[in-house]
This record gives sequence, structure tokens and C-alpha cells, in this order.
Amino acid sequence: MKRIVIERCVLTAFAAFMLSVPWLVPALVNTFWVSVIAEILIWSLFAASVNLLFGYVGLLSFGQALFFGFGMYGVGIGIDQLHLSFWPAFGLGISAAMVMALVSGVFAVRLTWHYFAIITVVFSLIFYFIAVTMKPLTGGDDGINFTLPPTFSWGSTQWSFTNATFQYFFILSTVAVCFYLMHLVIRSPLGKAFLAIRDNDVRASLIGLNVYLLRLTAFVMAGFLAGVAGALFAFFGRYASASYMFYHVSGEAVVWAIVGGAGTLFGPIIGTSLFIVIRELVSTHWEHHSLIVGVMAILVVILAPKGLVGLWHAGLDRLTAHGEGDASKLTTDAKLRTDP
Amino acid sequence: MNDPVLRIDNLTKRFGGLTAVDNLSLSLPRGRLQAIIGPNGAGKTTFFNLVSGLLSADSGRVFFLGRDITGLKPHEISRLGIKRTLQIKSVFGQLTVAENLWVTRQAGSRFLHPFRAASRDLETKARVEQTLEQIGMTVLADRPAGTLSYGDVALLEIGMALISEPRLLLLDEPTCGMSPAETERAVEKIRELARTIDIVIIEHDMEVVFGIADDITVMAQGSVLASGSPKEIAADERVREAYLGRPEDEDYVEEAAHA
Repeated sequence: MKRIVIERCVLTAFAAFMLSVPWLVPALVNTFWVSVIAEILIWSLFAASVNLLFGYVGLLSFGQALFFGFGMYGVGIGIDQLHLSFWPAFGLGISAAMVMALVSGVFAVRLTWHYFAIITVVFSLIFYFIAVTMKPLTGGDDGINFTLPPTFSWGSTQWSFTNATFQYFFILSTVAVCFYLMHLVIRSPLGKAFLAIRDNDVRASLIGLNVYLLRLTAFVMAGFLAGVAGALFAFFGRYASASYMFYHVSGEAVVWAIVGGAGTLFGPIIGTSLFIVIRELVSTHWEHHSLIVGVMAILVVILAPKGLVGLWHAGLDRLTAHGEGDASKLTTDAKLRTDP
Repeated sequence: MNDPVLRIDNLTKRFGGLTAVDNLSLSLPRGRLQAIIGPNGAGKTTFFNLVSGLLSADSGRVFFLGRDITGLKPHEISRLGIKRTLQIKSVFGQLTVAENLWVTRQAGSRFLHPFRAASRDLETKARVEQTLEQIGMTVLADRPAGTLSYGDVALLEIGMALISEPRLLLLDEPTCGMSPAETERAVEKIRELARTIDIVIIEHDMEVVFGIADDITVMAQGSVLASGSPKEIAADERVREAYLGRPEDEDYVEEAAHA
């Protein structure tokens, strides 16, 4: 059981680090990096939405930005035009994303593989152009800027995002809750059914699984995750913009999820952290920083098909196996990933 | 009780110009192990695909225990109790052996709990352990199914059929590609299953077919050529011509040369 001990230690260290960020990071680097880490958390959640579909149900979506954008606009329009307070606006953003996921999912999940990927791109392009042209409502390319209402008011004391530490912890706890929900779903009967469909959809239907309904369920769940991420990002940036609905944004999340390790809970966090940190470190010195991203993505896909988390698992296996006939397990992990 | 387990009325399926199943009618009574044989391209697998809902028929109807199941979706047919295996062995490769059984057992229930841990379902857990024992794969429980040998995959498929408690089991060439020892093991399992479940089996291995079937239906070019007990089928001239006496059968070739 050495393996569990190692994993627990790493997880505890990670949690401790995340909880101490608002004090530790300014002391070590500067306060700017606290907001970078908050941003990483939000984008990790967005990458998790891609991961739920691709890693667990086998549907590669290039259109998750649509639901991110709906989450953003739900908050933006809710606050700016409907004069909602914090929580109703949050709710509006998440529901808008889920309803959009349901509507587009009804059509999209009839298809698989490249057809599915294409239809998700098409949906997100349609709504991107609609959002750009509906300037009075969406602000078009410029987006909507708004002033953020307080999150909690308790008599005269107010908690709001103007307090950087509160903002950080609000984002951290929301993202943590979402990841915990995803963890529960993965281990549940529903999660096992998702995996069965990912592995073999014809067989899944023959054992009695309603493949269409299950894919749609996953699609709406992924819409939820993307919607929460979008709503958080709107609070975080105090604005909503159509540019975040473009499929380029979806594509980035696909790369983050795959490099981090699709089909693993923490893969999206690792992938997103890696690329955003690289972007922040390199972009000030060298404008072609996306070249690094491209090279790394190619290397990981070729050398570590299960992503960075897959590498870590393989390493742990090697460390804990003591070479006692468990070598087969290592190779099968890598091999299994290659057949679709 | 009097309804046949499977009744097929004038079933037809065309693929472009090819009529794979041609106005097929047959009635399979309950409580007997039925085998369907026939040369390649006779429409056996297409017939299974039509019954299990993977394909929809151009015309004709399928009745399961008297109930019209024509046009139902695969998962609906599966939930009525018709389970099948595929000709090319297919399990959920990245799930473990135990998980394969687990998900098969759960698939029949209408509600899949989204937030409770799967491992907390003790009833299913007990059934999975029992089935693992029945098929003799307890030691392999935690192996990913994609890493199993071919014979073990076939056994796992039988286990998956078992745990779903079918009323009718359609086996598509269950011993195809197996070693003699594996075939023997599989045949024994099928015989055991047939005591409680209605089974229809498509098989190319004549030794297997004549060893286990109560009734044999011979298909050729999409329709029924003959049906009867193994003895009758073995004696049937048309069957010998269409199927048993294929040119690759050496005796037949010799006979033909002398004639």
C-alpha cells in the first residue's frame, strides 16, 4: 500500500500549497502570481469539461468555449442589464450554459468522432458570430464591462471580489467543489457507464445502456463545468466578451487536457498549469511562445499517450512494483491508450 | 408459455443490391438449444443484428415470447432480456474484468446513480464475485480486459451474459479462434447455461454444433434451407450439398474427381 501513501502525500502537499497561496506566493514572488494561479484554476475547470467528454465518454469536443461564453454572458448580462446581484447572476450563467449544452447536445451527440468534433465547432462558430453582431446586448468584440456586486453582505460587512484574498478563495473553493463532484461521478455507476461507452459503444448498447441519453447527460454535465468556469472568469475579469466563445479557446482546452492526461481527474490541472506558467514566463521575453506549447504538445502526445499524469502513474508503478512480475502492467497502460 | 422464444415472420434485409436476409420465417420453441449454421454470407450474423436491433429490417417482424420487438432500439431489446455476443470478441478493453461484469450488471437498471461510489453497491459486488467464480476468473478480476488472452475474453463475454440474467442468449461464433482446450471449456459453459436459458448459437465448428445443439437450422442465401435434429440435418442431401460438402472438403473433391 506504499502507492496510496505516496499519492496521499502529494495530494496533501498540493492542497496545503493551494490554501497558502495568498500568503506564500507574494512572499516568494509577487502578488501578480496569485491572480495567475486563480486564472489557472478557472481554466483547469474549463479543461476538465473537455476531459469529461473526451477522457471519460470518448467524445472530442472543440466547442466547449460556447458554454464558457454562455457562462460569462449569463453573469455579464445578468449584472449589467438585468441588475442582478452576485448569486442570481452566477446561477443565470450556469443555467444558460447548461441549457445551451442541452440544446446543442440533442443534435451533437447523435454523432461521434470527427463528425461530433465538427458539429461542436459549427455550433460554437454560429453563436460566436451571433454574439459579435448583437452589439447592444453583448457589446460585440468589446464585450461588456461591469461593476461586481458583493458576494456576501452581512449587515454592514461585505465580502466581495475587490478583496484579492477573498476572490482567490472563492475561486479555489468553487473549482474544488466542481472537481469533487467530477470525482464522485467518475466512481459512480453513471461514471462506469460512461467508460463503457468510451470503450465500445455498440457493446454498451447491447448490454442495455441507452448510449444516446448517457452521452447527452455527459454533454450537459460538461456544459455545467464549462459554464461555471465561464461565470467565474466573468467575475474574475469583471467583463464578458464574445472573443472567449471562439473555437480557438476550445482548442486550447483540448491541448491542456490531453497533455495533462485525458481520462484522469487531475490531468487538466497539470496541463493547464504547465501551459499558463510557460505563457506567463516566456511571453514577456519572446512573442512566439506558442511554439513551445506546440512542441511540448507533440512530444507528450508521442511519448506519453496518457499525458503527464499517465507518466506519473507509470513512474509510481515502477517505483512500487519492485520488478516483481508487474512489468506487464506498465506496458499495457501505454498500449491500451493507442487503440481508440 | 406456449409462445416460441423467437418467432420471425418474413424478415428481409437488403444492403444495396444484396439481399442478406431474404423473406426469412422461423419459429424457435422454448427450452431447446438452437444452432444456426450455414456457409459464409448466408445471413446468419445479419439475422442476429436484426433481432438485437443493431440493424432495422426492410420488412417483416420479430416476436420475442409473443411480443413484437421489431424496430426497438438495441438497449430496449437488451433490457427485455435478449443478450448477445459479437462475432469479433468485444469487451470493454480499458475496464478491468470485474468492472466489465459490474457495468453489465448495472446497465439494465433505469437509474444510474451519479454521485454514489459504485463500489458501495454490495448486491452487485456480490454478484460480480459469484460470476467471477463461475467462469473461473477470480484471479484475473483486476486485469484490464484488453490484456486478456483470446480465450479469456470469450469466457468473460459468457460471464457478462450470465450476470445480466438473460431470457434469450444469442451467441455469435463463441468458439471462433479458440484453442481445442478453450473450446472444450466454452462448450461446457454453454451446455450449463442452456439448462436455464434459451440459447441460439451461430457456429462454424461442426463438432461443437453437433455436440451441443438440440435443433439445427441451416441458412443459405438469406433464408432457411432446412431445420431439424442434428441427425436429420446430417442426413439431409441439400444441406450436404450447400454446406457440409464444400469443395475444400477433401473427400468431396475426390468423389467429384472420380465421378
